[in-house]
Amino acid sequence: MKSISVLVCAGSLLVWAAGCHRSSNSNSVAVNGPAITSNPVGPVPGGVQDIQYPTNPYMQDPVALQDGRRLFDWYNCSGCHGGHAGGGMGPSLRDPVWIYGNRDDQIFDTIAHGRSKGMPSWGSKIPEQQIWELVAYIKSMGTPEEPDPPVEPAHEQMPNPQQEEKPSVATQPPAAETH
Amino acid sequence: MDRLIPGLRWAGIAGLILLAGVVGAQKESANGTTMNVPGAMPNVHVVSPLANGQWTMPAGDYGNLRYSPLSQINTTNVQNLRVVANMTDGIPHGHEGGPLVVGSTLYMVTPFPNNLYAFDLSKPHFLLKWEYQPHPDIASQGVACCDVVNRGASYADGKIIYALLDNHVVAVDAQTGHEAWRTQVGDIHFGETTTMAPIVVKNLVYVGNSGGELGVRGKLTGLDVKTGKVQWIAWSTGSDQDVRIGSDFKPFYAHEKQGKDQGIKSWTPGQWKIGGGTIWGWISYDPELNLIYYGTGNPGPWNPDMRPGDNKWTVTIFARDADTGMVKWAWQLGPHDEWDYDEIMENILVDMPWKGQMRKLLIHPGRSGFMYVVDRQSGELLSASTYEPTNWATGYDLNTGQPIEVKEKETHFGKYSTDICPSSTGAKDFIPSSFSPRTGLVYIPAHNTCMDYMGTAVNYIAGTPYLGASVRMYPGQGGYQGELVAWDVAQGKKVWSVKEPDLPVYSGVLSTGGDLVFYGTMDGWFRALDAHSGKVLWQFKTPSGIVGNPVTFTGPDGKQYVAIYSGVGGWMGATALPDVSTDDPYAALGVVGAMKKIKTLSPPGDLLYAFGL
Ligand code: HEC
Repeated sequence: MKSISVLVCAGSLLVWAAGCHRSSNSNSVAVNGPAITSNPVGPVPGGVQDIQYPTNPYMQDPVALQDGRRLFDWYNCSGCHGGHAGGGMGPSLRDPVWIYGNRDDQIFDTIAHGRSKGMPSWGSKIPEQQIWELVAYIKSMGTPEEPDPPVEPAHEQMPNPQQEEKPSVATQPPAAETH
Repeated sequence: MDRLIPGLRWAGIAGLILLAGVVGAQKESANGTTMNVPGAMPNVHVVSPLANGQWTMPAGDYGNLRYSPLSQINTTNVQNLRVVANMTDGIPHGHEGGPLVVGSTLYMVTPFPNNLYAFDLSKPHFLLKWEYQPHPDIASQGVACCDVVNRGASYADGKIIYALLDNHVVAVDAQTGHEAWRTQVGDIHFGETTTMAPIVVKNLVYVGNSGGELGVRGKLTGLDVKTGKVQWIAWSTGSDQDVRIGSDFKPFYAHEKQGKDQGIKSWTPGQWKIGGGTIWGWISYDPELNLIYYGTGNPGPWNPDMRPGDNKWTVTIFARDADTGMVKWAWQLGPHDEWDYDEIMENILVDMPWKGQMRKLLIHPGRSGFMYVVDRQSGELLSASTYEPTNWATGYDLNTGQPIEVKEKETHFGKYSTDICPSSTGAKDFIPSSFSPRTGLVYIPAHNTCMDYMGTAVNYIAGTPYLGASVRMYPGQGGYQGELVAWDVAQGKKVWSVKEPDLPVYSGVLSTGGDLVFYGTMDGWFRALDAHSGKVLWQFKTPSGIVGNPVTFTGPDGKQYVAIYSGVGGWMGATALPDVSTDDPYAALGVVGAMKKIKTLSPPGDLLYAFGL
């Protein structure tokens, strides 16, 4: 068994990495409709100093959190973002990474207006109050306040002895089993 | 065509053979394709020329054997295999499918944004010749159910033909890289995407749609290879006219002959319009019968109580006239599916003795855990045996073609049915098997995962998921999650296997005349096994999990090469991507519970490797 370094050809063979673009923005989807919240875009010359971002009227309201959880399924958010928003077609909303920001008003804008890589704009479909409830729910994820948090299926704990003592395949290729 | 690669002795000949199609008298070319299989088992016959130097269509051949007679690399020298080239495309997403090789050029289609690269195999390290960027709609990324994948291209009429994620089919001049035509065949605003690899038969390009989780109505579109004009559409649900069922329709089983418009009547009113049955896997073609074969996806939504009835023609194998698209026979493997067992898997076509008689077989390793052997002329099910732990059905009634289902494993609204095996991702997914005429074995990339499944309420909102189920998956019992299974078709049983403790086997398989079986693992190993014994003869660690399909070809230097992508992703691989977190077992349509370990075992990747002696 000969093992060959992965880096054998690095450098000389990355022939066109430079010419590759991760994605193109040329077809970005237009964001339609009036803004539901109007934030200043500043800073601008002679700019606004103390920007007052709109805040969520439902933060930490347990009933609103429950509603937000229910709406997350009702509007099929869970289909794209995962049953408890762990990700899938759309990114995880449970992790610390925010593409478009995690201030209340930013999350509100994301939901209301959509985002270019396939986040639908919901402003015309979901009443403002329900969007705030969704924001409240999203921000509760991973905190003790999160309603109906994800539970591991019982089977995960099933003893599976071989799983723990996985031989390093590098040194010991698996043997074929005959049946 | 022979202008494609001037100076190459055999490229022209190969091209001509391709043009002539496979119906012609020519059975073999010097290097491009061949009907001859040295060392084949007695009376095992292939139905169309095999890849023998080039790789011009997704499976290498119309029969979907993924077998090449090339034998320069073989059991005696494979341990000397080494990297001869690797290229990165800078897109760390699931690299499903595989490259094409036409003459002395290798073509690679990337995941979204679906760029096409042409590499010159006559230059050291396979230098880039040109690059084509189609710029698909970036919003299509949000409706792609299972990562922004692409499963490959076909070469025909001097063009590389493939589908973009945003439902456009493009044809690109294989020599210049210029777009010859582009045709829209679907709409992302209704949840549609196109991820499958089109195939071309005579003057028709066939392409199916994806989006069975988004209320998409499945369809196969036939396009003219010269102009890209749509010639016909064959829907998976709806009226007989829409499904292209006419007087030629002769299904084998009574269950499929219940009168007109079963594609409407086996549904609650109107549900068929958003009922799934998408076509996102592989298409096979039998030149002699002039039939194409493919399977359709799951019905939607996943909550079965919302769609009483058989839900025809979802989870069905269709045999259609290759020219007209009219249905010759259809067989619904999973009437009223309750587990998301799409059956879009490969259909391997081979003629061989079956119970003492020569039969025209269609071999379909099912997502459902059953290995189906079908007479492809009549549509009769000859056998269905399980190849991984399967408990939703105890078997099939060969007289009716119906599964014998297990009551406790039925799924319903509002209550979890537990310990269902296999999970929705199947005992295998779309990742294609290979059949070697020399061993009579099918090499199946398989999984051992189970699940809990509950139907939930769901609203149809166009362009969003229409899922209706809460699913959580976990590894099955037995201490393994992946298995490369060698299945003896004639004997109907597993003869050996190679198991993976932590991750499913989610890569396609290639077998060769050198008696080697190539495949990859989700933690990045690319392996060559002895096709007879399953012994691991060689392996190489690539940086990322392998979910693509290996191909083999002869370079302009007369040497044999093997190529594979290393870039984890796709449905089961999505957990490896940064967009998915592991603290939600319901994420990524329920796979996360079964796939947590991949976060540490495989980083995302973006590489194409070529190996040679
Ligand atoms: C069709 C799939 C889809 C649906 C349905 C969907 N989303 Fe999204 N969502 C996306 C995608 C894709 C992105 C990433 C967009 C981008 O990067 O441009 C996203 C982004 C987001 C973000 C921003 C994440 C960040 O990191 O900044 C939030 C918040 C969000 N969605 C919330 C929701 C809510 C709430 C709903 C339901 C009302 C919903 N989404 C429904 C696909 C979807």
